[in-house]
Amino acid sequence: MDFSYFTDASIAQLLEEFYYSPLIIQIAIFFIFFSVLCILVTYTSILTKRYKGYRLEKKLERINPIIDDLILKNIIFNDELNKDAEEGEPANLIPLHDFQKIPFKSAFGKQALINRIISFRKSFKGTIAFYLRQLYIDLELDKQSFNKMKSVKWDKKVVALVELTAMDMSIADVNILPLTNSKNSELRAEARHAYIKLSKNEPFKFFDVVTEPLLMWDQIQLFKIITTTEDIAIPNFARWVTYSTNKSIVSFCLKLIVYYNQVDGIPAVIKLLDTKDHGLRANAINCLGKLKVDEVEDKLLEIYGNQTQNCQIEILKAIGRIRSGKSIDFLKYEFLHSSDFDLRKNAARSIISGGIKAQETIQLLLDTATKENLLILKHCMNPLIKF
Amino acid sequence: MQKILYIEDELLMQNIVDKILSREGYEVDVANDGKMAMQKLIENNFDYSLVITDIMMPYANGFEIISKIRNYTSPKKIPIIVVSTIGNEDAILEAFKLGADDFLKKPIMAGELLIRVKRLAGQ
Repeated sequence: MDFSYFTDASIAQLLEEFYYSPLIIQIAIFFIFFSVLCILVTYTSILTKRYKGYRLEKKLERINPIIDDLILKNIIFNDELNKDAEEGEPANLIPLHDFQKIPFKSAFGKQALINRIISFRKSFKGTIAFYLRQLYIDLELDKQSFNKMKSVKWDKKVVALVELTAMDMSIADVNILPLTNSKNSELRAEARHAYIKLSKNEPFKFFDVVTEPLLMWDQIQLFKIITTTEDIAIPNFARWVTYSTNKSIVSFCLKLIVYYNQVDGIPAVIKLLDTKDHGLRANAINCLGKLKVDEVEDKLLEIYGNQTQNCQIEILKAIGRIRSGKSIDFLKYEFLHSSDFDLRKNAARSIISGGIKAQETIQLLLDTATKENLLILKHCMNPLIKF
Repeated sequence: MQKILYIEDELLMQNIVDKILSREGYEVDVANDGKMAMQKLIENNFDYSLVITDIMMPYANGFEIISKIRNYTSPKKIPIIVVSTIGNEDAILEAFKLGADDFLKKPIMAGELLIRVKRLAGQ
């Protein structure tokens, strides 16, 4: 092969050496060059990202105090606005000219403004929060958020949902409901959060359309959102216990029935005892126990024998929670004769939670217990150990 | 001039409340965390007209700050307002049990904070 067209003699010599070297050496050299190139590209991209982040931070450090001062001057310390609010007519126009100057005309400036308004709204409520929302609308920053909703990128949609939720802007069902069922877990969670917070009439409508299972983490997040959001209309969750085909929704609604002590939902929960799904059955028993439904105690004893272990444990716990004192003998029998350690432990716990009604039985068991049974009883009597 | 110690680790909140109170004529000392708050209290010989504290903070939380202030054998009782995002029953009861005089849950109303400050620290 002719390498003479390279003007630099050393490069030509190197290439010639590479060309005539054994194949294994050629492959090794190729991989070395390729690896070095990859490392260089990676380091360059990391450095570029860090530099961009640093520049952004510096720009924010410059612009944020300006925004803070403007908000303080035009909203918080604006006596005209506060006077109107005191007179019960918070409709005065916010002076916008300062917010429409050059730094806030760029997309970056507008985004910084949105983020700062949201931060202020997280710290303040009342008149200040009202005027901050008004400012967001007057500056047409909502359009920027709604544009992000149209993006194909899921992370932009999440940002848009966070912004619109924080600013209490309503989003059309047609735009948000499909997102509550998204394959992307973060987008799905944020859309559900936004729907509960923004939908004034039916914040739980998305329960009807959810086809994907609610994962345990989704349930924890939703539970927190539902129980901490103020002014939301709480429906009768028994509706989904009866009609939903999504098992995770039914299971989640059972937890909400307990939390909101919805005794109207008890008949629907009792019906669930006949379901073939043992997981749901266990959840239903758990719900009835926590609601202390004593009329269901006989039925629980009746079905106990043909239940799976998780349902049997829930039945024992439910009897302990109901504390009617009717089933002490049954609990005592299970504690003394069951071959399953978990069942014995839960039976003991339920006997002990029986209090005065079970006092005689507890004393008798303590007096006559074997070494192992005594350990279980003492363990269950320890108030620091929770079940 | 009435002197107030404001203990808050969130910079935005710290900055705004500082400006709101300063505008009303109070002298505001700001601490970013529990450790700094204790330093300021000791440096000033616990001589504050009011302490406003958050609960969740680095080094020492708001409850510890309240306990330390109340354990200090000053003849003058310093009024304490707790301003926190934690607004559950346990936190509120714990704060009052330890000796807090008032409790505000974030987000707050600026006007409400001012009224409570004026009531406890004086005009």
